[in-house]
Amino acid sequence: MMLQKSETLRAYSLLSPTLIIMAIGILVPFGILIVMSFWTQVGFGFDMTPTVANYEMATERPIYGALLKRSLWMSGMATVTTVLLCYPMAYFVAFHVHRNKMLWIVLMTLPFWTSYLLRVFAWKVVLGYDGVINSALMNIGLIEKPLEFLLYSQAAVIITLAHAWAAFAILPMYVSLEKIDRSLLEAATDLGDGPVMRFLRITLPLSLPGVMSATLLIFIPTTGDYITPALLGGPDGVMIGNLIQKQFGAVNNWPMGATLAIILMLSIAMITLVFLFATNFVRKRIS
Amino acid sequence: MDVIDQLGELGEGKLSRRKFTKSLMAAGIGIATTPLASSLAQAAADDQGTFFTWGGYDIPELFGAYKEKHGELPSFATFGGSEEALTKMRGGYVVDVSHPCNAGIPRWIASGLFQPIDTSRLSNWSDVIPELYNLQGNFVDGKPYLAPFDWGQTSITYRTDLFELEGEESWDMLWDERYKGRLGSLASGGDAWWCGAIKAGVAMSDIDTPEAFEKIAAAMRAQRPLIRVYTDDTTTLEQALASGEMVAAMTWNSSASLLKADGVPVRFATPKEGALTWVCGLMIHKDAPNLDSAYDIIDSLLSVESGKYMINDYGYGHANSKAFDAFDEETLVGLGLSKTPTDILAAGHFQIPQSQEWETKMNALFEEIKAGF
Repeated sequence: MMLQKSETLRAYSLLSPTLIIMAIGILVPFGILIVMSFWTQVGFGFDMTPTVANYEMATERPIYGALLKRSLWMSGMATVTTVLLCYPMAYFVAFHVHRNKMLWIVLMTLPFWTSYLLRVFAWKVVLGYDGVINSALMNIGLIEKPLEFLLYSQAAVIITLAHAWAAFAILPMYVSLEKIDRSLLEAATDLGDGPVMRFLRITLPLSLPGVMSATLLIFIPTTGDYITPALLGGPDGVMIGNLIQKQFGAVNNWPMGATLAIILMLSIAMITLVFLFATNFVRKRIS
Repeated sequence: MDVIDQLGELGEGKLSRRKFTKSLMAAGIGIATTPLASSLAQAAADDQGTFFTWGGYDIPELFGAYKEKHGELPSFATFGGSEEALTKMRGGYVVDVSHPCNAGIPRWIASGLFQPIDTSRLSNWSDVIPELYNLQGNFVDGKPYLAPFDWGQTSITYRTDLFELEGEESWDMLWDERYKGRLGSLASGGDAWWCGAIKAGVAMSDIDTPEAFEKIAAAMRAQRPLIRVYTDDTTTLEQALASGEMVAAMTWNSSASLLKADGVPVRFATPKEGALTWVCGLMIHKDAPNLDSAYDIIDSLLSVESGKYMINDYGYGHANSKAFDAFDEETLVGLGLSKTPTDILAAGHFQIPQSQEWETKMNALFEEIKAGF
């Protein structure tokens, strides 16, 4: 008994720096956010009588729901693109690179050593009206006028997000692919599975945890992304993060901003739960 | 200790725990001491006043006198719109000097975040054009809160070679269906909404009425599909105009001046309905940590040298009457300026200060319109 108690105590004391930071950095602001979402902005100050008026407004006015849907869709597209593009890369390094693996991993994360903002700006240069892609296409005579849809569009935001978050997809997928016991693959071959069946029955199911964590790692932060749509989205590429920022900035309605942030969080949490249940179900079915 | 070696060992799983801990410790000490070293080096810069301003005013050319006295430039923080700046300061951000415009003066003073200016501490105050500080709401108990610095117009900069003008210059240019997707606008409601009022024929004095909201919103909704991008970043608009991505955009004087200086064929329009005119200036934060530097920042901005730069390179009017002496009447007319600012300001539409409720309502509505609702 005594020993057990001191074990728990030790665990908690080891955890305590993290717990304190969690409490100060996450729980307290989250509490403020929840409380504030029930207030009303009056001029420069707040009316602190609790009311659900903000939530009512968020459901009544079409802009909020539409931007939320658009954000989830754009971030979903970016997530799918990233995972599909990064899986082969992670697969290659895990199975076909035998020397200097660490170097490969470092090289793949190299672009992420520059600031996020700089990478977004770089995409603006690449996609711009007189940017790299348009100049190249015009030089080889494929187009006569620059393609305008490249920049200031939802596509521009999705492309940029997919590139900016690639490292977060490669690393977890690499780890789960690397862990796969090679003798299972040999066994499958011995029992007559071709390369495709072997991949579908062994590699893919066993690497699913990596794919899942990659999906969540990208989907959750990109849904609320602010800077990419602000710089590359144009009028049609605005996301919910931009609207939330405006509430705390020019619009000056902090309680509404808090409400929108909470609604965004709840939506992401719901989608994540559905996703987790669905993948668990699929995993059970195929294994 | 070779980093590459260690990474190699880590990859092969050969790195011993002791070695790994050692390098972690080295990295930890390194990280922990880096901010110490840099904060010692930055101590000198912390003594400088902070100027919280629009992008474009954070340049050495405007702080000659300040630099002579302090040896370096003030610290800068920039914003895209003055509403955003006020919200940041209300959230607790403390600076020495900030840069609001006439429409915001009463609300900025009402926020209680600013202190009146002791004009006896400004050597250039006697040369400041009085019409520019005798603005609505600027004096409380006989003391001014805003020291005027720059004045100018919000109008249309257009490519004379790409935009085919039909008749006179007019706000209709930014509503021209022929140039759908090749028009640009400032994103801040502080400019765009008021220009929408001019286009919709709403008098500045009627802007706080339900009919005005309806009319202006209708105009902005009609314009929205034509706009390539709304931005507070003037460089984005200037580059788009220079490359031909846009043929016309809502800008301030400086964009046209900068593009002309680069040899781009542009004109800063004098719309027949009148441009939007404004006066901006400087306010001192009530808790300004470097009050002496704050006064030096203001004095430097009000100096004749800064004024010449503002007029010549940015095409803005300046508050110091002596700054205009270096220019002949013809040059000033060419820039859309005059030694008597009241003529210019009265010829356009001068913004009238509004309540905080109006600002919130207008900005919320304008954000919806920009997002397509």
